[in-house]
Amino acid sequence: MSLALLMSGCAVTSTDSGDDGSTGSDELGGSITIACGAMEDWCQAMTTAFTAETGVQANFVRLSSGETVARLDAARDNPEFDVWHGGPVDGFGAARDAGLLEAYDSPNAAAIPDKYKDADHYWTGVYVGALGFCSNTKVLDELGVDVPESWEDLLDPKLKGQISTAHPSPSGTAFTTLWTQVTRLGGEEEGLEYMKKMHNNVLQYSKSGTAPGQIAGRGEVAVGLVFSHDCVKYQEEGLTDLTVSFPKEGTGYEIGGVALVKGSKNKTAAQAYIDWTLTAEAQNIGPTVGSYQVLTNPDAAVDDRMVKLEDVEFVDYDFVAAAAAKPGLTARFDAEIAAQPKE
Amino acid sequence: MSTTLPTRTEQDAEKPTGELVLRDVEKSFGVGENRVTAVDHINLTVKPGEFVTLLGPSGCGKTTTLRMIAGFESPTSGSVLLDGEDMLRLTPDRRPMAMVFQSYALFPHMTVFDNVAYGLKLRKVPAKQLKEEVGFALASMGLTALADRAPNQLSGGQQQRVALARAMVVKPKVLLFDEPLSNLDAKLRVQMRLEIRRLQRLLGISSVYVTHDQDEAMSLSDRIVVMRSGRIEQVGTPDEIYRTPESVFVADFIGRANFLDVTEASTSSREGHADITVLGQRMSARAHRDAVAAPESVLLVRPEAIRVRRFAEGDDKVAGNHGRVLNAVFYGESVEYEIETEVGTIVAVVSDPVYDEIVPVGDLVGISFDPERAWLLPAAS
Amino acid sequence: MTISNATVPRARRFSLRSRETPLDLTTRIAVVLVVLILGVLIVLPLVNILSSAVSEQGLAVFNSIFSSVNLQVLQNTVVLGVLVGAIGTVIGFLLAYVQVRLDFRGKKLLHLLALLPIVSPPFAVATAVITLFGRSGIITRDLLGITPTLYGLPGLTIVLSLSFFPAAYMNMLGLMRSLDPSLDEAAASIGANKWRTFVTVTLPMLVPGFASSFLLLFVEAIADLANPLVIGGDFTVLSSRAYIAITGEYNVGAGAAYSLVLLLPGLLVFLIQRYWATRKSVVSVTGKPAGRPAVITSIPARIVLLTLSGLLALLIVTIYATVIVGGFVKILGINNEFDLSHYRYVLSGIGSDAMITTTALALIATPIAGVLGLVIAWLITRKLRRGRALIDFLGMLGLAVPGTVLGIGYALTFNKPLGFGNVAILPALAGGGAVLGGAIAIVMVYVIRSSPSGQRSGVAALQQIDVAIDEASASLGASGVTTFRKVTLPLIRPALLSGLIYAFARSMTTLSPIIFITTPQTKIMTSQILSEVDAGRFGNAFAYCTILIVIVMSVIGLLNLFVRDSSVPKAAGLSSATIN
Repeated sequence: MSLALLMSGCAVTSTDSGDDGSTGSDELGGSITIACGAMEDWCQAMTTAFTAETGVQANFVRLSSGETVARLDAARDNPEFDVWHGGPVDGFGAARDAGLLEAYDSPNAAAIPDKYKDADHYWTGVYVGALGFCSNTKVLDELGVDVPESWEDLLDPKLKGQISTAHPSPSGTAFTTLWTQVTRLGGEEEGLEYMKKMHNNVLQYSKSGTAPGQIAGRGEVAVGLVFSHDCVKYQEEGLTDLTVSFPKEGTGYEIGGVALVKGSKNKTAAQAYIDWTLTAEAQNIGPTVGSYQVLTNPDAAVDDRMVKLEDVEFVDYDFVAAAAAKPGLTARFDAEIAAQPKE
Repeated sequence: MSTTLPTRTEQDAEKPTGELVLRDVEKSFGVGENRVTAVDHINLTVKPGEFVTLLGPSGCGKTTTLRMIAGFESPTSGSVLLDGEDMLRLTPDRRPMAMVFQSYALFPHMTVFDNVAYGLKLRKVPAKQLKEEVGFALASMGLTALADRAPNQLSGGQQQRVALARAMVVKPKVLLFDEPLSNLDAKLRVQMRLEIRRLQRLLGISSVYVTHDQDEAMSLSDRIVVMRSGRIEQVGTPDEIYRTPESVFVADFIGRANFLDVTEASTSSREGHADITVLGQRMSARAHRDAVAAPESVLLVRPEAIRVRRFAEGDDKVAGNHGRVLNAVFYGESVEYEIETEVGTIVAVVSDPVYDEIVPVGDLVGISFDPERAWLLPAAS
Repeated sequence: MTISNATVPRARRFSLRSRETPLDLTTRIAVVLVVLILGVLIVLPLVNILSSAVSEQGLAVFNSIFSSVNLQVLQNTVVLGVLVGAIGTVIGFLLAYVQVRLDFRGKKLLHLLALLPIVSPPFAVATAVITLFGRSGIITRDLLGITPTLYGLPGLTIVLSLSFFPAAYMNMLGLMRSLDPSLDEAAASIGANKWRTFVTVTLPMLVPGFASSFLLLFVEAIADLANPLVIGGDFTVLSSRAYIAITGEYNVGAGAAYSLVLLLPGLLVFLIQRYWATRKSVVSVTGKPAGRPAVITSIPARIVLLTLSGLLALLIVTIYATVIVGGFVKILGINNEFDLSHYRYVLSGIGSDAMITTTALALIATPIAGVLGLVIAWLITRKLRRGRALIDFLGMLGLAVPGTVLGIGYALTFNKPLGFGNVAILPALAGGGAVLGGAIAIVMVYVIRSSPSGQRSGVAALQQIDVAIDEASASLGASGVTTFRKVTLPLIRPALLSGLIYAFARSMTTLSPIIFITTPQTKIMTSQILSEVDAGRFGNAFAYCTILIVIVMSVIGLLNLFVRDSSVPKAAGLSSATIN
């Protein structure tokens, strides 16, 4: 009995392949595996749609960017993944530097604005998210604090223990927050100085970048620092006390990427997947499962719940510099801030 | 595996077997400075059907010796042979022996019947025969009514009977007993040792029995092995051990003893005797072969060999031939005196005393003994 | 004399060695097999991790380990381990004591409640505790009007103690049920009152139980990753530090180094515990069973004990009620509308795949882990002298090594075929490209993580059984294996059962090593729950947890029927210790 269960348990977990050959091109076949850095339901919707479209079986594992790099590195000689889809591109940069990615200039990438692409084609952007404040209005009312409108507002002593942000080591989101300060204030020292001041108001540095949104949503803290689309998703899911705001001094943003894993065993299908993710059709799937990132394909649909990038003040975010500074900066953050006692 | 075990039928066909030989067996623990020799080169032969008891104070190596025979310990050197076959090559389960433990060691998850049947099942005895043999074993121990009980529903005596039945039913060539009666009360102990002896005689199985209880040893054994500090002090029949002990240790350990100082000792014209002066008297007493040559020797006189009489006015007062009664205990079948004399305190037991003749505490008594019932032996070095 | 002195002892030592009680063939085969299995399951991955740890990045961590930050992390870890070990052991002891020495209605229920956290997936207790007792908790804020901060040491201590105490409970329960009550009676008879008897006789007898419970909990607490991730606050422990290093800093070397540090306290406690166990050996089952333990009738004692355990029971019930209810409403505590969408989400697609896969793999691993643990226990308590400590140690390593390390070690080791030179001995076992979609590596992790619990309970049970019982069997002609099968095994059946149950529940609920080796083809429930908690969808997480609990409970029920058979006389003292 156990054996039978095992066999069924190991059956490849994906939607049925379209063996009737509806739209699948002739060369495509087999299956591909995707390391997916976005929300679970987003990943599922993407792979399901791709399989329906091409007949190629697409499986995914949801992983944070840190985990993805670790696993790609561990399985360098025998890669288990073909494509990395979703998640901030600073992680992609690290993977590229470690020689884990393969450059691929997708024909569909032409449609994507250059600012959302790696110059060497190691990754291509599929969505954009703006870092924002995800506040719980009920808690703020109780504290007698207004919805924060600037980074300085977060230093209000009334917010002691009322801010949740992630740890920049495992979380791409939190690193975006950190690098935003560095860019905004003009240097690593200044950026860390700001984080040090905010430290007194932080309840905990969570490991997951999206967690602060739900911690705020459930009223554990007043403000969570997350990408605004994650905050919107929590609102949609019923955490209705949440409201999004952006700092007037300028905020950071992420580009969610897609990339080809070096040594992929099914390169043709993997490339087909990447081509597909850059189409407006594929990108439009996001909003149907509650993910309201801004899409990189200009032809993709725009939803009211997406942040209007032109309304938000951005800092001049340098992804290459960010990726290069990441290991040193996070280590400093860990040593000089996260582990320090609060006043 | 179980086919190599002797079965009952095989054994019945042969003439009595079970000659157990320990040759130069040594057991040491530890290395270098910490090396302790628990059993020091002992030699012993147990004849087929013989009941031999290892007797000695705790720590004398008797249990270690038994466990080496059983195979639970390995000798450091020497050999253990059974009917000429080297036992040391065999793990305990391959040795045709069965052991009865002090703690009974019944299998708590099995009924009485299953406990007894265990060894036979291992020998693949057919079901019908198994039932018969277990039934017979249970019946002979008076356990038939308890066959379906669990061990923890039995009294200590009943548990030990089960353990005994369990060991005997497999018809081993050698039965090993590790102080099996020490957890039982005195009356039950007496009853059980009679039963052990009866069954052992009936089955004719060579037996090695470990105890520190001399009564048990005396009543059970064909021969007793007195051990001390890993060595054998003496091997002999209960009678020999009691009457002609090899050493002061044995004399002292078995029964009770008065040791009288001997001032002069010389070879007697009588075979096995020596001329000595004791309690101021010259006499010829039975003697250990080395007693005369020894620098010092003592005379062993058992309490029951001492004669006690009221001291009359005109009697000679020679040193040691008289004393004052310190204590007198009436046991019914005997009176025991503690008598203070000029050569020390002497214990005397007078059996079946006439009431009038019991000497009260504080009175002066005369002491004497029959030299034929005394035993001269070298003093302890 | 002087010359012979120099040579004789050496010769004797040699002869001593050559004449050790010969091991029978089966024992020798068992030793070889066990060493081989442990070698592949734990030593190899560790060696790989070790070689990563002595890489440049790893050495940097070692150099900085006494810097204030890392020292703080180290201290945090030890403090957490000690607190959880102590509190969990006390809770386990209290409930076990009440179970054995008190008569009251609902005893069976209390027993089941005490076992409930074993089957609890990671996050279940943590998320429920946040929902109930957090700043906006249903109880704290809505009922009591307070907003305590759980994040950090207080929350971790509460959650980990509540999650792990069942290990101590089962350990103590087995031990107390097999204690010889005549010892208590003996103490009472020489004039000790109940309290003195308890303090001077009962407690010392339980010292090995306390020690091994503490060990288990300490090691589990410091190795736990899931809870520090969710409610650790700014209280960083070694496991979360290692996780950050590996997943955040992409620094496997540093992560491996942190986990080696993590290994140290675990090993230290293990050694201390060994010292205790060997110094104070309490053998009290002799095959000469005595009566039943005396029931406590003193009214004040009853009131205190029952109140305490009642409160604990209430807490456990509330937590699990939260988990169950949370799966059926929109967002518990915020929008309490009845809603089946969580179950719809969980039971369709990925969710149901994960359920089947996880259960199947755990079912395969459980008997293997149980048998492995027991065989090791048997070897080290009964068969081996030389090398016993080593095998004991290797067997326990699976528990002492933090899951994160194990996971990375497995990924490093089994993602590629294993062999010497060009000769492949094992194909790739882990990762998406491996045989059976990496399922074998997951089963291996389950086995090595679970077998220590079988080993521990096996050792505890075997130490309680008089060696004379084994010897009696041998002297009646039973070989080592036969004795094990016919005598030892039935006597340690309760330990076997609790070992199996624990193994299964552990497999079903283990997370940290799995994160690194789940593959697209083998989705594991716990890592699915992590995604849900991560994304803040507590409702889905609660639904997953509930289903997981139901699965584990059903299998435990079946195991109970399966492992317990009726051929044992009912009155046999030991069989009453069966966990049921």
